[in-house]
Amino acid sequence: MTFKSFIFGLLASFGLPWLAVVVFPFSKMRTLEPVKFEEGDRKGQAYSPMRDGRVNEGSKIYGQEGCYHCHTQLIRPTYAGPDVHRDEWAGLRLSADNPDTRRETVPTDYDGEDVAHIGLSRVGPDLSNLGRRLDHYLKGRDPTPETWLYLHLYSPRTNPGYVENDQEIHSHSTCPSKSGLFRQVPAILAGGQALPLYNVKGVAVVPTDRARALVSYLASLKKDTLGAPLPKAYNLNPIAPTKE
Amino acid sequence: MAETTSNADSVDVDLRVAIDRSLRHPVMFFFLSGAVWLALSVVLGLIASAKKHAPDFLSGFSFLDAGKVDAAHMSTLTYGWGAQAAFGMLIWLMARLSRKECTASGIILVAGHIWNAAVAYGVLCIMGSGSLGPWFESSGIAGMEFPGGVWVVLLVSFIMISIWSLVQFQVRDAGHVYVSQWYLLAAMLWLPWIMATAWLFVFVFDGSPLMATGIASWFKGTVFALFFLPVALASAYYLAPKVTGRPVCSYNIALFGFWSLAVIGPWVGMQKLAGAPIPQFLPAAGAAAMVMILIPALSVGVNILRTVQGHGKVVALSPSMRFTAFGIVLFVVYGVLSFGLNNNIGLKVSQFSYAGYGMDILGLHGVFSLCAFGAIYFIVPRITRREWLSRRFIRWHFFLSLYGLASIVICAVVGGFFQGQGTEDLTQPFLTGARRAAAYGWGITLAWCFLLLANLFFCLHLLLMAARLGRRSSHPTLLDKHHVESPHGPEGEVDNYGSAIV
Amino acid sequence: MDHARDNPLKRFAAFWIAALLIASFAIACVIVRPMTHGDVNTVYDMKAEARLALVSEARATQEAALDTAALEKAITEPSDNLHKQVPTPGSKPLVAPAPAETPKGEEKPDPAE
Repeated sequence: MTFKSFIFGLLASFGLPWLAVVVFPFSKMRTLEPVKFEEGDRKGQAYSPMRDGRVNEGSKIYGQEGCYHCHTQLIRPTYAGPDVHRDEWAGLRLSADNPDTRRETVPTDYDGEDVAHIGLSRVGPDLSNLGRRLDHYLKGRDPTPETWLYLHLYSPRTNPGYVENDQEIHSHSTCPSKSGLFRQVPAILAGGQALPLYNVKGVAVVPTDRARALVSYLASLKKDTLGAPLPKAYNLNPIAPTKE
Repeated sequence: MAETTSNADSVDVDLRVAIDRSLRHPVMFFFLSGAVWLALSVVLGLIASAKKHAPDFLSGFSFLDAGKVDAAHMSTLTYGWGAQAAFGMLIWLMARLSRKECTASGIILVAGHIWNAAVAYGVLCIMGSGSLGPWFESSGIAGMEFPGGVWVVLLVSFIMISIWSLVQFQVRDAGHVYVSQWYLLAAMLWLPWIMATAWLFVFVFDGSPLMATGIASWFKGTVFALFFLPVALASAYYLAPKVTGRPVCSYNIALFGFWSLAVIGPWVGMQKLAGAPIPQFLPAAGAAAMVMILIPALSVGVNILRTVQGHGKVVALSPSMRFTAFGIVLFVVYGVLSFGLNNNIGLKVSQFSYAGYGMDILGLHGVFSLCAFGAIYFIVPRITRREWLSRRFIRWHFFLSLYGLASIVICAVVGGFFQGQGTEDLTQPFLTGARRAAAYGWGITLAWCFLLLANLFFCLHLLLMAARLGRRSSHPTLLDKHHVESPHGPEGEVDNYGSAIV
Repeated sequence: MDHARDNPLKRFAAFWIAALLIASFAIACVIVRPMTHGDVNTVYDMKAEARLALVSEARATQEAALDTAALEKAITEPSDNLHKQVPTPGSKPLVAPAPAETPKGEEKPDPAE
C-alpha cells in the first residue's frame, strides 16, 4: 500500500459517512417543511406549537447543570422503546377532566433551544412532559408548579410529591440538591420570592436568576397533544381509547 | 529488552538513543501531565458515581454538583489523560518507526502546555458554570461540554503536536511500512477531521437542535473509534513483536483489521439517539457500526494474541506486554459487548442506562488506557535512561486496574442492562429500575476506588522516574516473583549504552 | 539518512502536504457552508401567509362595505342644515332632524341620559 493509495482510501472511507451522517442530515433537518393540518378547523395551517417561558436561556442552564446525565427528554416511537406507555411521560392518560394526550416526540418539540437535551441515561424520569404533569396534579393546590420546582431543585428529598401520596418516591430521589442556584437573604428583603421552607429564623431562601430561568424552562415542558393536536402526518398513535 | 551494543548494530543503537533523546522532554511532559489528569479524573469519577446512590455526598460544594462533576470526569479522562497519553505514544512511536529524530520538540512542548491550559480552562468552565461569572460557562452540550473557543485551541495545538510526525513519515527511508505507522497516520488525520467538523457543525453553523446533539454524539463516538483506538492498536502492534522478538502473525490480517476500522468507525455515535425524531437511518447506521466493531476487534485480537502465543512467560514477565495483552483482550470483550448492547433488542434496553457509560469507560480506560500503560512502561525507561524502581508498584497497578475494570464491566455494563430492563419493563414501576441503578451504582463506586489506588501507584512511580530516581541498570524491571535478587541484575552492573551520551 | 528522501526541500513539501491533508475536511465544511447557513423561517412564513390572507380579506370586505357616497351625504347634509339654521339670541334651541333608519332594524335600548 503506498502513501497515495492510503490517503485516497482514508478520504473515501471517511468522506462518505461524513456526507451521509453529518452534512446531508444537518442540511435537511434545518429546512424541514412544517407539517400542515389536512383536516379539521386548522386545515392548511402549519403545526407549530408555542412554548411558554424562558426556553432558550433555561435550556442552556439545563445543559450547564448537567441534568441531561440523568434525565431524558425523548418519548421514543414504540419500535424503539415503550416510553409512550410509561407512567405519564408522554402526556396525560384519559380521565374525567381530559382526553388522552400522550404522544411521541416530534422534531418541533425542541424548537427554541440550541441543543436538544435528549439525555444520556434514566437515573431519573423522563422530563418531556414535566410541565404538563405539574399543571395537572397541582391544579387548585397550594404550591404552584414553579414553587414546586424551586423546592425540588433546592431540596429534592424533602419535597412532597405532586401526585397524592407519592412522598415515598421522592424521598428516594437521587437528584442533587442544587443549592448553588439559590441565595440566602435576610427575610425582610426577600419580598414575595422566598421559598416556603423551614429555615433559620430571619433568613429566607430566594432563587437566583439562573434558577428562575431553569424553572421557567422546566415548567414549559409540555410535549403532548393538550391544546395542540397533532396533524395526521405526525400522528403515529393508534386511536386513543374513549373509555378508561 | 536489554539492547547490548555487542550484539546490535551500534549505528542503529546510536540512532535509537538519539531519537529518544530528542523526544524526552515532550514525551515525559505528556505522560506526566496525563497521569496527573488521570488521578483527578478518577477522583471526579468516584464523586460522580457516589452521588448517584448517595446524593448528599459532598453536596455543600456547588462546583461538585452531580451533572457538572459527571461532565468534568469524562472531559478530564478523555482530554486530560487520554489525549496526552496518546500524544506521547504517537510522537515517540512514529519517530522510532520512521527512524527520524524529532526536530520540533520545543514547539511540541509549547503546544502541550497550551493543550493543558485549554483543558484546565474547559474543566473550570464545566464545574464553575453559574458561579464563576460569564467567562466560565460550559456549552451544556453532551459530549462537547467545553465552550466553543476551547475546541479551536485544542485543534490547533493538536496540529502543532502531530504535524511533525506526519512529516517524519513522509521523509522516512525506503522500506517496509509497519502496521503501526498506518494506524498512527490515520489517527493523526482523523482527529482534526472529526474535531473541525464537529466544532463547525455544532458551534458555528446554525441548524436544528436535534442535529447539534446528534453530531456531538457522533464526535464522542468517533473520537474513541478513530483516535484512541488506532493509537492503542499502533502501540500494541509495535510492542508485541518487539518484546517477544517474533514478527506480527499476519500483515494481511493487520491491514484488514485497519481498513475494517476505517470503514466502520466513522459511522458510530448516533445510536445514542435511537428513537429521536431524526432520519431513522442515522441511529440505525450508528448501531450497525457499533455491532460491527466486533470485526476489527476480532481481527486485531487474533493477530496480536497469536503473535505472542507460546510466549506466555514473556507476556507475564514484561510489564509492557502484560498491560498491552490485556488491553487487546479487553478490546475483544468490548467488541462482543458492543454487539450485544447495540442490536435491535439490546439497544432498546441499554440506550438510557449505565451500560453506555460502562462501554465508554471500558473503551477509554480498559482498551486505550491499558495499552497506554503498556507503552509508558516501555517508553519511559528508554527516554529517561533509568529503569522502573519497583516490581510491586507495577504489579499492584496492574491487578488493581484489572479489578476495577472488571467491576465496571459487571456493574455498569451488565448491571446497566438490568437497570434498563427494569425501566423499560412496563409491569414494574419506575422505582424498580432506579433501585437497581442505585445498587449497581455502589459497585461502580467501588470500581473507582480500585482504579484510584491503581493510579496512585502509577502516578507515584512515574513521578519518581521523572525525578530521575530510577535505577541505572541495563536490566529491565521484569515482574518476576521468583528471583530473590534485585530485578536490576547483579549489584554494580550499570548501564552500558555508550559513554558518548550522558 | 537517505538524502534523496530526507532533505530540507522534501521536509518543506511534506509539511505543506500534511497541513493540506489535515485541513481537507475543514475546507470541505467551508465548501458546504451554503447548505448549512442562511435564514430559514419556514414556519414563520407559513403562519405569515395565513395571517396576511386574513388581513387582506378583512380589508377587502371593509373596502366593499364602505359606501363613500352615503358617507359624504351623511356628513354634508346636516352640516348644510346647521349652517342654514343659525340661531338668534333668545330663541328656542334647535332640534336635530331624526337620524336615518339603520338597515338592521333591531333597536338598541337608549342609554340612560
